[in-house]
Amino acid sequence: MPLSCSIKPAASPATGLLGLNMIKLLFFGRLGDFAEGVAPNIEARADLTPAKIRDLLAADHPALFAELSQPQVLISLNQMIVGWEQPVFDGAELAFLPPVTGG
Amino acid sequence: MKPSIRIQTQDFDLGAEYKLLRQLDAAVGAVVTFTGLVRDLEKNAVIKSLTLQHYPGMTESLLQEIVDQAAARWDLIGLTVIHRVGELLPSDQIVFVGVASQHRADAFEAAQFVMDYLKTKATFWKKVDQGDQQHWVESKDSDQTASQRWQTHD
Repeated sequence: MPLSCSIKPAASPATGLLGLNMIKLLFFGRLGDFAEGVAPNIEARADLTPAKIRDLLAADHPALFAELSQPQVLISLNQMIVGWEQPVFDGAELAFLPPVTGG
Repeated sequence: MKPSIRIQTQDFDLGAEYKLLRQLDAAVGAVVTFTGLVRDLEKNAVIKSLTLQHYPGMTESLLQEIVDQAAARWDLIGLTVIHRVGELLPSDQIVFVGVASQHRADAFEAAQFVMDYLKTKATFWKKVDQGDQQHWVESKDSDQTASQRWQTHD
């Protein structure tokens, strides 16, 4: 089952369900298939950005890294669309979003 | 303007939704509804089922933004958006957009705008089960083109 198939409500950025020093990762759509085996949380550290987190995944998950590097993949931080160089802080929820196909 | 945004696994009743929009206000002179269904074919291959995934919280926020933009752009009395998630079968209802307004042009245009934006901006993803294989549906350029036509009018 893809990591992102959870139906439960996502952590609210205001209430910070995650403990400090952790960043929650979500992979939606086809990215979820490539993210099987990826830890759902990673430890926060100074100067992290979505681009750096993607790079951290490259060694153990090269296929996922390749998918995340597709130009049409968007990212959201605490459910807001952001750029790849946005700072990522403790307790954040970072989601990787392939092109949407609803409707 | 009375908005209603619902993401749900259960089916919806087109007649009941129409009735709610119709009865919102005596000023309602037009109700336009759109219902999207699960097709039995995906790229000319028969499908067994379709599973819709969304991003709880963010998807509702994005739909609210789309509804707010429609309300700012057209003179609307009511706007209902229902999107189903989970596993659906061919001919099942997926999505409903209903718009109530005084005059038909506002309702027609707002309904098209909401559907075009929903298809390209709201965080839903479809996975198709064709029995022997499953795959995620790819986004269509035609949907992007349909969405972009509204931007050129800004």
